[in-house]
This record gives sequence, structure tokens and C-alpha cells, in this order.
Amino acid sequence: MKQGLPPPRTAVLHSISDPNSGELLDRGLLLWFPGPQSFTGEDCAEFHVHGGPAVISAILQALGSLPGLRPAEAGEFTRRAFQAGKLDLTEVEGLGDLIHAETEAQRRQALRQMAGDLGHLYQTWSHTLTRALAHLEAFIDFSEEENIEDGVLNQVDNFVRQLQMEIHSHLHDNRRGERLRSGVHVVIAGEANAGKSSLLNAICQRPAAIVSPIAGTTRDVVETALDIGGFPVLLSDTAGLRDTHDIIEKEGVRRTRERLEQADLTVALLDVVGLLEASNKLTHLLFSFLEDLNVRQKQQCILVLNKIDLLHKKELNDLHCALKKEEDLPTVCWLSCKTGSGIEEFLRVLRAELEILCGNPLLGMPSLTQARHRSHLHKCLEALGLYEYYKRADMALAAEGLRSALASLGRITGKVGAEEILNLIFRDFCIGK
Amino acid sequence: MLPRRFCHCHRARLQFLSTRLIGQNVSGDQYDVIVVGGGHAGTEAAAAAARGGAQTLLVTQKLSTIGTLSCNPSFGGIGKGHLVREVDALDGLCGRLCDQTGIHFKVLNRSKGPAVWGLRAQVDRLLYRSAMQREVCATALLNVREASVEDLMVEDPDASRPGLARVTGVRLGDGAIVLGRAVILTTGTFLSGSLKFGTSSVPGGRLGEAPSVGLSLSLSELGFTKGRLKTGTPPRIRKESVNFDKLEVHHGDERPVPFSFMNAEVAIEPSQQLLCHLTYTTPGVEDVVRDTLAANDHVQQDTKGPRSLHLAVRPSRAQYRYCPSIESKVLRFPGRAHQVWLEPEGLNSELIYPQGLSMTMPVEAQVALLRHIPGLEAADIAAAGYGVQYDYLDPRQLHPTLETRKVQGLFMAGQINGTTGYEEAAAQGIVAGINAFLHTRSLPPFTISRTEGYIGVLIDDLTSLGVTEPYRMFTSRAEFRTILRPDNADQRLTERAYHQTGCISGARVVTARHIASRLSEGISLLKSLCLSSYRWKQLLPEVGISQERSGHMR
Repeated sequence: MKQGLPPPRTAVLHSISDPNSGELLDRGLLLWFPGPQSFTGEDCAEFHVHGGPAVISAILQALGSLPGLRPAEAGEFTRRAFQAGKLDLTEVEGLGDLIHAETEAQRRQALRQMAGDLGHLYQTWSHTLTRALAHLEAFIDFSEEENIEDGVLNQVDNFVRQLQMEIHSHLHDNRRGERLRSGVHVVIAGEANAGKSSLLNAICQRPAAIVSPIAGTTRDVVETALDIGGFPVLLSDTAGLRDTHDIIEKEGVRRTRERLEQADLTVALLDVVGLLEASNKLTHLLFSFLEDLNVRQKQQCILVLNKIDLLHKKELNDLHCALKKEEDLPTVCWLSCKTGSGIEEFLRVLRAELEILCGNPLLGMPSLTQARHRSHLHKCLEALGLYEYYKRADMALAAEGLRSALASLGRITGKVGAEEILNLIFRDFCIGK
Repeated sequence: MLPRRFCHCHRARLQFLSTRLIGQNVSGDQYDVIVVGGGHAGTEAAAAAARGGAQTLLVTQKLSTIGTLSCNPSFGGIGKGHLVREVDALDGLCGRLCDQTGIHFKVLNRSKGPAVWGLRAQVDRLLYRSAMQREVCATALLNVREASVEDLMVEDPDASRPGLARVTGVRLGDGAIVLGRAVILTTGTFLSGSLKFGTSSVPGGRLGEAPSVGLSLSLSELGFTKGRLKTGTPPRIRKESVNFDKLEVHHGDERPVPFSFMNAEVAIEPSQQLLCHLTYTTPGVEDVVRDTLAANDHVQQDTKGPRSLHLAVRPSRAQYRYCPSIESKVLRFPGRAHQVWLEPEGLNSELIYPQGLSMTMPVEAQVALLRHIPGLEAADIAAAGYGVQYDYLDPRQLHPTLETRKVQGLFMAGQINGTTGYEEAAAQGIVAGINAFLHTRSLPPFTISRTEGYIGVLIDDLTSLGVTEPYRMFTSRAEFRTILRPDNADQRLTERAYHQTGCISGARVVTARHIASRLSEGISLLKSLCLSSYRWKQLLPEVGISQERSGHMR
């Protein structure tokens, strides 16, 4: 630009020309962000141009011809922001999740994480642990020559215990955050001809359930990705479960069992007519059916009774009453895929279950969202256990436990501080020459 | 003026080498390694270079001060003890000399695990000094000269290596030039040193000794960046004026652990060790400090510690995180009783050294302050406490070998690099001495990594991070603390140094190898003994042996 740089952080409409030939490439908006107040902390210029492929290509070519410029690698801007300390690792991940979010709930969770909530939680823990370590180091390095107050070790114990409790409860969140991020595995299972495929189709056709083509993930042929009420769902239809000698069918049954192992939620589908025939062996039938489907807890299951259109009102009522007496049954939904009756209610129940499984991403402690977080947190707890184990016998080894715990936490956010510990020691304790 | 080169020994054996010079300044002296400064860094450096086989010259302003302990008459402690052990593992001097002249030995942190044991000894000031001077005298190829060094001689660099210049020697105060292929500066607190008493200040590196000014200028001219640091020392008190009656008594260890790997025991009889006493400050001390603050220049800046809410007096000056003086202690942490250790200065000394009472206020105020400390109510000051301000060189200008990046063959070691403590100085000195020797033989340098020793941690911290306050070693600085124990310094360093440097004596390596083989014998023996947990439990009922199959934690 001949007049020099535009004023910082002000959108300016300008011609964009090739620096070598002077040829006009486009007219667009320019934004100039001098560092350090920019995304990456460095000086940053943004060209907002018309989005056609030829325009973009021409401008990238022109930029590429300038000395000192090269195309950014995938994620490089975010990497620079991280290296400049603008984002920590959890915020980087949150940003990635935000870009890939497909459902409302995913968006909310990602946004919260990108805003730093999760990072802030881990930072707070890091601070507590750093203080504990500083106290312990002060005790090791100075307690015999300087006057370190009594009770320093008790404080360390308190810090450690507090941390263990908080990390523990954070980990025992039933994988809410991870599930929300990657999708809830819902499996429809039941005997042959109970109507599983019909149910799947019925769900997919409802406006409340948005079928989305998610690019880039490998999926079984029978799995459908859906957005139900803002929650991401991976819905699987399965082969009917029955004893068979047919090899292909056997494979189908095997795959079904595998899916059921991994299911977050099982939709156990039964033909209601078969129930009627069971009469006084009803409960036994139901429970053995559920057991067969590997349903361990009633919370992970919705029992769906299909084909109610084939029963008289009185027969339905009788069944209703019989089931109501059973306390240990999961939520029951009565519907007919053929007529559509009861499907809305089923979806409502399904959404309620999803909400329990995923939690409300905006309430309470932010959820951990990646296996990576979980793994580091487990290591952190393990290391804190080492501290407990060694603290009476060998202080240096106990301190190694705390150092290791701090390093694990640091790996989540990408920050591990060493001089911080010394700063804390000198702030809290009077150390002489 | 005749250049004199003589060796000052305990029995004053003098040896003159006279050379008539007419109209020339060049003395014709040529050495491999020249060491400037005879303190803890200088003596280790000079001895190490000489051990390797270098013709070495140690230049000091006052021969009688070689081996002087400027402040606390003690060596070691937590972290520092590690350094002494490592210097000994490299065949250094201070460990052996402490064993010879120690009067009170104690291993600190006994209950905290062997990785953090702190070997410590009070030494007899006079005995240590004479022992050091004897040692220096007796070291072959090590020559000593009393002179001040005013300038460095440099020329164009060796183009095959990095650097802007190459050192060729030094110019002494009398104009004489001494040539050397390597020069090690270990001038301690003497670079433009200034002594502070209350509001007055006097040029000096230590009480009664002139500072080094010319050298400081030369270094600036060569483009080295410097900073200024300060330290201080307590008053020395006459023992007979101290009332020890009600004070806490501390005895030395019943079985003192020697510093040196070459010694099975220390020289002093354990029962003959002198006692140390502990006392505390009282609120009166705080009052005296506050009342005299206006008359105490040296401390005004460092009273504004991290807890302060008001602006620093001179905001550009870095604040020390720790408390270098009693003044800063009571000002930063008011309302507390601070420890004061009363340490004997020697077997026949009439002086007591009050550790923890570094002070720079005017003498009358010092006397008044002591009155408020139990045991020191009638204390008689033999020498007042004072502060020292001095130039140091940013150690980031050094390679990990302690050679400067700008000037080839020029090495720096000790307090000149911004450290505090005899042990830190000695550790740098021995590494600089070894590398200066290797440099003169064009052999590959010798470095110690953070994974191999506290010396490695020290040098790496200095050369990569620089300093904002006098650097002191703590065990928490070492990431690999659990393997860098005082008891395995020889196993970590001696063998490798023997092969790579030529500065380690044969006897030492033999001892280290002997220990190594006994260790591996012991370990094989232990490994060969395999019993069921049930059986172990029977044999050792008092030990908690789990009978679960799971193994013990890492």
C-alpha cells in the first residue's frame, strides 16, 4: 500500500494488486493487527476477499511470490498462538472442537472450552500443586538451616488430599464431555422382525432428528449420525439376535453383540404381541431379554414395545398395569412404527436420556473432552499416590511424586513451570543468604 | 622493578627468580594457563590445570589471602554439600581440606532421604587458609605471583572457532605482561568492588583489600555486559563476651562423614568437635533496623521484597527473592523470631561468627542491635558487618565450558558470574581449570550435563538463564535429584573425567573403581537372594512385607 499501513483493527476497503505486475486482483477488506494484540501475538494482516477459487488462487500466488512469505501449515496459526502463550492446549483443542462442532450442545461445550474454562480448571489445580510442591521443597532445602514454620508438611498433605478429591470427581463424570464431543452410541437391538429398521427409519424421518452427513469419519454401513435435540447421536441398527447356523447371520449377531458392549444407550425393542402371549412369565421374559442384550443398568436402556396397533385397548391396558408393577424396568415406550403413534413421545424420552448422558455443557464443572485429558489426569492421581507412599520414608522420592503429578497436569495445558516454584518458596518463607 | 615470582608457604619458603629488564615491559613469562584471583574458584582452577600438566600461574593481589573464607567459616549444606562432593570427585581441593580442618561436622536432612542429605562442616578459618596455601605450594607446575591484573591482552581470533578475539595474556599493575594461552578470571567480589558501611562507602573487594578496577574497564571495552550485585557479611563477635548459658546447644555428628571420597574419616576426633549454639532475634532487633534505615544505604533497595506494596526505591534494580541480610529479613517478614547460629571460627580463635546476622548499618547501630539478641546482650564486636557491591558478568556470555563466547581462551568462574557461596565458586573453578587446560592442548572440552551432576545444573542455569540475584544452589533446582546423590558423585564423575581430562589422579580413580566393584558385587548378591514373600516375612517380621502379588511402586 502506497500510503503505508491502514490504521490497526479497522476494516478498510481497498484494491488488492499483484506486487510484481501491478495487476488488480480484487477489491476487498483489509484488517491490520499489529502484535502483540493479535491472534498469534505477531503482526497479522487479514485480507477479506471475494471467495471464488480464481481470486483466492491469484492472491495466494501473489503473496507467495513475496520474499519472506510462505503458505501456513495446517494449524500453524493456532500453533503460533499457543507458542506465544495466547492459548493453552485445552483452548487449542476447544477451538478445533468448535470448528468441527455439528450440534448445538457440541458447540456450547467447545465454546466453553475455547474460552478457557477447562484450561482454567486445570490451571487452578496446577497452582495448588505448585504451592504444595513449593512447601515441600522449602521443607527439604531449608528446614534444617532456616526457620520454616511447623505444620508445613500438614499443609502439603491438605493440598494433595484436596486435589485428589477434585480430580477424582472430575474423572467420574461418566464420560459426559467425551461423549458429547464424539457422539452418543445408541444401539437398537432386539429379536428379528421386532421392527428395528422401521424404528430407525421412523426416527430419521422426524424433523426433530436431523440426519447429517459427517465427512471424514469411517462408519459401519448400518450407523447413522443424527442431531437429536442438539445432541450428537450415532444410531446403529443391528441384526436380529437369534441362534443360527447360518454363517453370515452368525457374523451379524457377533457384530451386534460387539455394538452392545460399546453402547452408551440401548434401545431394546420388543414386539408387544409376543409379550401378550407370555402372560404370567412376562417379567421373566423381559428381564432375560434385557440381560441377553447386555443391559447392566436400567439407566442405559429404553425399552420400546412396538406394534401396539395390533392389540386391543383392553389388552394394552392390562399389559400397562402388569409392567407398572415392576420397579426395576427401564423407561418403557409404547409405539407403533406403522401408524406413527408414540414416536414423538419416544423421541422425547430419548432426548431426556441423552441429556443425562451428556450433561448440560454449560452447567457445573467443565467436562474433560478427550482421552488425552483422562490419561494425564490418571497419571496425575497415580503420582499423587506416590507422594502418599513415600512421604514418611524418603522426602526426595515423595517430592518426585509431586513433580510428576505437576508435569502430568502441565501436559494437558502445555504449561509446566519451574521458576514458579522458587518464586513461591521465597514469597512464603524467609530464606537467608 | 623486579618481577618476583615466589610461593608463599606456611613456613615462608621464598624463591626468587630475577630478570633484569631495561626499557621493556615484557617479562618474558609464558604460561599455559593464568588464573586471576586466589579465592575458592581460583585455587581449584589453578590446581586442576596444573594437575593436567599445564604450566600454571596464579596471580593474586595478596598472597596471604589465598584460601580465605570471606564470610561463614563453613562449607557445604543442603545442595552445596553436593557440589563439594562433586568437586572432590573431580579431584578438587576443598573437600579434602575441609576434612583436614573441620571443627564441627553435621549431615543435614538425615531423615529426608539420601538424595537430599546435606554434608556440612564448620572449619577452622586459619587452619583452612594455611592448608590451602600448603596445597597450592605443593602442587607441581603451579606458580604463584602477588600482583594486581589491570588488563587483558588479546589479538585476532582463531578463525576456525567462534569468537571475536583471542586472549594472549594479562598486564599486571606494574606494567609487566605475562603471556598465557588461557586466562581464567576468578575475581570474586573484586570487580569495581565497593564496601558499604552505613551511608559511607569505600572501594574494596573485601575488608582491607583493594578492588580491581582496570580489569573491570577492560572487560567493558571488550564488549562484555555486566551487572551489579550486592552481598554482605555479619559482624565478628568476641567469644568471651557471649553468654552461652541459656542457648540451644548443637553437637557435631558422633561419626562425622568426610567430604572426600579419599578419606575414611575426618582429621578431628569426634569428641573434640566444637559446639554451635542457636539463638533468635527479638522484637527489639526489628526496632533497631527500622530506626536506622535512613542511615543504611545498602539495604534500602532490597527491603522492597516481593511482599511490598509500595514502589521500589530504584525500580530498575532487580529485587532479590531471598533475604541477604538481617535487615531485609525483619523488614520483609516482620513480627517473627529469626534464627541466629553462633559458630566458632576456629580451635584457637577468640571469635564467634553469627550466621544469619549479615548487616550493613553503622557500627553503633550494630552494637545496639546485638543487645536485643539472647546471649549477645554484652557482645563485643571485633569487626563490624558491612556490605559489598560488585560487578558481575552476565554468565549467558559463557559456553557450558565457562569459556567466554567473545574471547577465545578466556574463562570466567566463581562469584564473577553472579553466584554466591564458596561451593558454587569451587565447582565453577574446577570446570574452568579443566577446560582451560584442555583448550591449551586443543583437546575436546569437558562439560557436565544436568543429568550428571549439580555442577551441570549450576552451569546450565547460569549460562542459559543468567541471574537476577546471586545464584545459590538448592536441591530443588535439580530435576534429576533422586539420582544425583552426594554418595554417588564419584561413580557419576570420576571415571569419565579421568578418561576425558587428564586432571584426575590415578589414586582417585583406583578408589572410585574399587567402590564401583564392591557396589556391583553387593547388588549381584542381593539380586541372587530370592525368597517367597512368606519366607521374607518370617525372616524379617518387623518389616512390612505385602503378600500380594503386585510389585512395589516405581
